[in-house]
Amino acid sequence: MKLLDFSSNMFVVAFFLYCAAFILFAVALMGRRWSNRDPEAHMKKWGGIAFLGSSLGLIFHLIFFVTRWIGGEHIPVSNMYEFMSFLSMMVMVAFTVVYLIYRKTLLGLFAVPITIIIMAYAAVFPQEVQPLIPSLQSYWLKIHVTLAAAGESFFAIGFAAGFMYLIRTVDFKSKEKKAKKQQRWVEVIFFSIILVISFIATVFIFRSAGYESVFTQTKVTGQVGAQTTITEKVSYKLPPIVGPYHSKIESYEPFLGMSKPLFNAPSWMNGVNAGRKFNTIIWSVLTGLILYGILRLIVRKPLGRAASPLMDGIDADDLDEISYRAIAIGFPIFTLGALIFAMIWAQIAWGIFWSWDPKEVWALICWLFYSAYLHLRLSRGWQGSNSAWLAVIGFLVVMFTLVGVNLVIAGLHSYAGVE
Amino acid sequence: MLQEVIAFKNTKCECGHQNPVGTVLCEACGRPLEEEDRESTEVLEMRYDGMARRSQRVNPNFIDRIWNFFSSVKIAVYMIILTLIGSMLGSIFPQESTFLNVDPSTYYKDTYGTWGLVYYKLGLTHTYESWWFILLLVMIGASLIICSLDRVLPLYKALTKQRILKHMQFLTRQRVVYQGPVEGTVEDWMKQVSAPIKKKGYRVYTDGNALLAEKYRFSRWGPYVIHIGLIIFLLAVLARGLPGLKMDQHIPFPEGEIKHIPDTSFYLKNEKFTVEYYTQEEMPEEFRNKGKTLPKLFNTQATLYQCTADCDDPTKEPKLEEVTKHNIQVNDPLDYKGLMAYQFDYDMTPILRAVSPSLVDVKTGQDFGKFKLDIRNPQRNYTVGDYSLELKEKYNDFGLDENGKPVTKTPNPNAPAFLFLIKGPDLPAAGVQYIYFPKEIDKERFQQDAINTKLNGGSAPLMLDVKGMENVDFSLSTSYLNIRVDKVMPFIWIGASIVMLGLVLGFYWQHRRIWLRIDDGMLTLGAHTNKNWFGIRREISAILKKMNLDVDEKSMDNGGKNA
Repeated sequence: MKLLDFSSNMFVVAFFLYCAAFILFAVALMGRRWSNRDPEAHMKKWGGIAFLGSSLGLIFHLIFFVTRWIGGEHIPVSNMYEFMSFLSMMVMVAFTVVYLIYRKTLLGLFAVPITIIIMAYAAVFPQEVQPLIPSLQSYWLKIHVTLAAAGESFFAIGFAAGFMYLIRTVDFKSKEKKAKKQQRWVEVIFFSIILVISFIATVFIFRSAGYESVFTQTKVTGQVGAQTTITEKVSYKLPPIVGPYHSKIESYEPFLGMSKPLFNAPSWMNGVNAGRKFNTIIWSVLTGLILYGILRLIVRKPLGRAASPLMDGIDADDLDEISYRAIAIGFPIFTLGALIFAMIWAQIAWGIFWSWDPKEVWALICWLFYSAYLHLRLSRGWQGSNSAWLAVIGFLVVMFTLVGVNLVIAGLHSYAGVE
Repeated sequence: MLQEVIAFKNTKCECGHQNPVGTVLCEACGRPLEEEDRESTEVLEMRYDGMARRSQRVNPNFIDRIWNFFSSVKIAVYMIILTLIGSMLGSIFPQESTFLNVDPSTYYKDTYGTWGLVYYKLGLTHTYESWWFILLLVMIGASLIICSLDRVLPLYKALTKQRILKHMQFLTRQRVVYQGPVEGTVEDWMKQVSAPIKKKGYRVYTDGNALLAEKYRFSRWGPYVIHIGLIIFLLAVLARGLPGLKMDQHIPFPEGEIKHIPDTSFYLKNEKFTVEYYTQEEMPEEFRNKGKTLPKLFNTQATLYQCTADCDDPTKEPKLEEVTKHNIQVNDPLDYKGLMAYQFDYDMTPILRAVSPSLVDVKTGQDFGKFKLDIRNPQRNYTVGDYSLELKEKYNDFGLDENGKPVTKTPNPNAPAFLFLIKGPDLPAAGVQYIYFPKEIDKERFQQDAINTKLNGGSAPLMLDVKGMENVDFSLSTSYLNIRVDKVMPFIWIGASIVMLGLVLGFYWQHRRIWLRIDDGMLTLGAHTNKNWFGIRREISAILKKMNLDVDEKSMDNGGKNA
């Protein structure tokens, strides 16, 4: 168990090194216009330092991965915490590969935060090493999950570069209809990222405060005449604004004068822990709005407009190329890892290569989406803005596949606890 | 007709080459053929090297129109998007196929309310088997074939007969262009520049003042290889729908019993089924002593037999021959010549296999002897001492209908019951009817004694009684195996492998071409790649550097929208 503790420490070290690298990338970029320096030389010098920082973070991240593998006696990709940690590591690997090809410092400013957010999201989940249940005891676990994550992380880099392209090229001063629309959607992407950050932050704040409220929920299942009643305890780690459907308070830790939930979840929310998930969403939106409001008060303009001067002097075509290239590198890896190897494993474990399980369906949806992207780009000349939007949306589809499907749709894959 | 004649006239290039109708760039020298296009300075449309395609015929007839429809990438993208949306819709609620025993007409309404009912009524509960979804797949298949043929043939023709000297406009209107003066004789310069180009892996062809360098042409075939793989894959998927190519059964195998696998000549015996759980020490600290259990292993020790003779004769015992043994686990199925057996589920409820009751005189308690009663396959007649027992009726799952008549509710041996006619000494000539429940719990539940009293109009003089556990034979558990045959699987894997090969060829290499010509000490360079312009610019910059020409990578970019 000692080794596993060491491993957890390495996770924390890697996390803070990435944060430091992010700040260094920001210095490299924003310091260009500081007095008495040559912008080119400044970028080169600080960009190099920042890349060293992120690489060092990656080394510690790898140490975390290897020690957890040895300590846990199986590859750490078998639950949400482990998978998300691995995904964030692969995003850094993909970033490193693309950085070594294109040497664009700026990419780090957007790629490193993706890793940081995914890593923080990973830490929301229970972190103990669970022994493998029989269906996961296969070497295909290693091959399928790791390759799928590798492909997805190149899509993440495609997203980062695509999003940068949009911030660089959208005309944030224009009042034209088309430009207005683009401005609004860039803002929506910013808000979504803030939403994720505020979700993570809220969970950690209440966790460190040790908050808990408990409900007893009665569920009636079966048809009329043959009903069975189940009573379950539902524990909330965030103050309940909304209680579970058909429930009674067992214990309620008061929060800001609230001593009972404002309302209960409607009856159609009858999935596993639906009430609690709904409560988490409400909290994330609330804190997200507050955080977004604070940021808007600080910069006093839409975030997209505030970020666009950062991109001054950056070649938009290069960003377009990087975004496309990252996706082009990731696409075959994704096909192999998330579809072909998934089919082989499914054939061995479930007896059928394809069973239209929600996770499989969504992996196929990702694949179809990026196929459409590639066809539009290669044969119909969709470049620049159109292409960048697709790269951004594509990664959102990928994230829904990885997180949303587990959260919303149940299936054979949802062995991993979410929330 | 007139149009074609006019078009025909236009297709002869000034270099003397006669091009087919629809050609954009002269097949030989690359000069744009359209008058309008010649006056433009924009980057050339280099797709398929400007060759004529079948789908661009003037005056299309009916077949041409169908061809044109399926050869359009726009249509293909629409079909991809529709399939994507269809797949999304199908993932909202679980599909019918995820359940083994569920009545979809009530299940969706009961579980998901009105939305579930709407979902069911729309037929989305079997999205992936619905006609429109399959039609979409078939149309994508057609599109894959026609798109590929429409493009790969002209492209192949264009790339196999390339002329080295290209028209000036062809070069200056590429996406990567460089022009500048060079020193020395043309011959020397060409010879010199060949070395660094070759070093980068290009094949170099020269023709007087012109040079063509080309590498990784095979990458151009990547997309078509992908499409061939997808076609094989799709055909295999569609073929799975044909009868006789696949089998899928879920069969319970009680421990210790040889059971026939329906529709095959195979029999499988579950020798022993084991479930193992992780011990408390193996669990993480957070889980320990919280009553949580986590399975570690499901294992069915299986023996597969094949019937060699008397297979279909119900009067004879089939002759079985052992063909293989395997420990079936979740990720380790039994595989015998395409017959697969997967660990699917298990049931630890003991199942009664046989009992050996004794025939006893109720009054004196005299024991006349015992016989073995096989629950699943009982004999018609038994002889115990001087008595004979004739089996009149067998109920697998005993119950009474609304008229109070005994019936079998299900074919599963949940509550087995046997109705015997007993004849022998001191009994009426017609015999005594006797119902027997081997399971103790059923005896009480259905009141065996009361039924027997009713049957004979008085209490029965004899009874069947199991004396001691040694007379009970039951299997401890049942392993549910999923027996499958899927004859198209090899084609699925072949298709997938070809797709993968194509993806690697198409995405990790790029077809790059560089054209050079020197006219009066002036070098004109044009270059084309199907992907990764950044890479080819960097390569050319490095090559020119070797020739003492310092050219910025970015300055060669001529704009344009070709990938």
